[in-house]
Amino acid sequence: MEIDIIIKATHLSKFFGKGISEVHAVNDVSLNIKRGEMVLVMGPSGSGKTTLLSMLGALLGATSGEVSIDGLDISTMNNKELAALRATRIGFVFQSFNLLEALTVEENILFPAQLNTGGIQAAKTRLDNLLDRLGLATRRNALPNTLSGGEKQRVAIGRALINQPDIILADEPTGNLDSHKGQEVMMILHDIARDDNCAVVMVTHDPRVEEIADRVLWLEDGSLRDRKSEKHSWVKDPVCGMRVDEWTATITTEYNKQRYVFCSKRCLERFNSNSEKYKKSEK
Amino acid sequence: MLYWSLKTLFSEPVRLIVSALAVSVSFLLVVFFSAVFEGESDKMVIYLEKMQADVWVMQKGVSNMHMASSMLWDWKADKIAKLPFVKEVSAILYFNGPVKIGGKDWFSYIIGIKPQYQRAGPWEISKGKRIPGVGEVVIPEVISQLSGVQIGDEITLVDRPLRVIGLSRDTFSMASSVVFVSHEDLGELVKGRDQYSYIMVYANPGISSQDLIKHIKNEVDKVNALSSEDFINSDRTLAMQMGAEIISMMTIIGTLLATLIVAFTAYSLINHKQQELAVAKALGFSDGKIYIASLFQSVVITAIGLVLSIVLAYTILSWLPTVIPQVNLVVRPHQFISIASIALPIAVFASFAAVRTVIKVDPMTVFKG
Repeated sequence: MEIDIIIKATHLSKFFGKGISEVHAVNDVSLNIKRGEMVLVMGPSGSGKTTLLSMLGALLGATSGEVSIDGLDISTMNNKELAALRATRIGFVFQSFNLLEALTVEENILFPAQLNTGGIQAAKTRLDNLLDRLGLATRRNALPNTLSGGEKQRVAIGRALINQPDIILADEPTGNLDSHKGQEVMMILHDIARDDNCAVVMVTHDPRVEEIADRVLWLEDGSLRDRKSEKHSWVKDPVCGMRVDEWTATITTEYNKQRYVFCSKRCLERFNSNSEKYKKSEK
Repeated sequence: MLYWSLKTLFSEPVRLIVSALAVSVSFLLVVFFSAVFEGESDKMVIYLEKMQADVWVMQKGVSNMHMASSMLWDWKADKIAKLPFVKEVSAILYFNGPVKIGGKDWFSYIIGIKPQYQRAGPWEISKGKRIPGVGEVVIPEVISQLSGVQIGDEITLVDRPLRVIGLSRDTFSMASSVVFVSHEDLGELVKGRDQYSYIMVYANPGISSQDLIKHIKNEVDKVNALSSEDFINSDRTLAMQMGAEIISMMTIIGTLLATLIVAFTAYSLINHKQQELAVAKALGFSDGKIYIASLFQSVVITAIGLVLSIVLAYTILSWLPTVIPQVNLVVRPHQFISIASIALPIAVFASFAAVRTVIKVDPMTVFKG
């Protein structure tokens, strides 16, 4: 139903550079995303996934085409209106967490609340609920540098949710997490879409998420395409043993003239710290 | 956002302390020059203050001691002494010029005193005699320390050798120290053996300075008479006018330095936190809000620098003269009021350095892993 559509992109394009050096990062993409839907944007590196996410998140203007958020055409908005839209309607979750180092867990989550109606005071009840829901109640006064990667990402999710947005845009939210923590974060985002009727758009390379997503958009050379099944090339992460799509994986290394593919940076770090062990266990 | 800027500032205490100290040093520089100038100005009128006269009488047309020359016939002192309402008079011959002590010229107020006017002599002696006779001189203790000249040594006043017989306290100034000689010696030098330069008049109890001045001007020809307060103010004003340009220059230099330091600190803080600014922008904070946060940091650094400069001024500047005796420093609250009044414009101006960075920060950088 049209009324459920929260994000509508029509013939959306973004070009960088000019002349022979012009790059079509996103080329004529049209899509609709409904409330409560969890949509994955996947594709090879450099296919324009983050550029598309930035345009859907009112962070980057389109070269042509339109983006509407809840029926509002954002291409006609000025910077101030776009900032207000981001503050109240969109929550962001980033690969590198992007927490504010001087602020505690509680303060980080409350940070965007000052831009919302009622300010921080009105957000305090929501804060307590979020801390409980994200399992951070005992860590509310901790500083980011004392948190694990999983905890940091949960704080970032809390920050994205504090203003009760209609949309969560997540860019590789599990990219810096090990497989277990990554799974945990995915399930939180899945629950947010289901329970909060929030549209979750996630850029990811992690094929495991496909199982919990409502839809997968395959972006290739800036355009949405049908992904054929043969595009999968499953291999095993030598560290954690998880299934990884070699075709789309970005975390790779070469050891003894052999290519290894990982589900996360953490697994790559572990591999680098004791390559012999993992090389042998792979065999 | 202001809370974030404050917490960010205090989350790096070393950076904050170094920045605030740098700001305080530049403020201190301004206070130091002002304190030196005030100290010197105070010393330039110290003789007038210590004499505690009610009225000073001088040649008509003269209203200062500093950089001035006054000549009065000696009988005028006797005549004033005999006037009703006058309790006592004291008179000096005065010359403003260099005295060679230890091979170096010391620009001085040279006071020629007669034995009967001992009140006009030094008010505190650290060593030796207080009143010089013919061929004798009392010099400031600080000059003795700096030049190595001791009691019994010779100094030269123009072409006249004089033997040091006493060391006085509280009479040294870099601009003009007070040196005491006999009226006879100075009289011969300035061809004024039967003259005085200034007559100090002490009134009977209950007589106002203004009544006394009126009376003196009526009874004695060709003199000017000023209350001690007016005379001191006149000399102090002259001293301040002479140093005003230097002080203004130093204040401008100190202010520019403080602005540069705060600007650099604000810029480096904002530069250092570019990724967090990008996050703030992505989350919906406007450039204006982020700039205000940066301005707030500048204000806080400047305020801490100001408080530190007050603390340092009262500790270091009070202690400095004990190590460097030739430095006369006077720290007064009004010096900080003027610094405080320029502190806010400094903070605002300095924060402009961060504006460009704030505008330039690309919220898209939040996607860089």
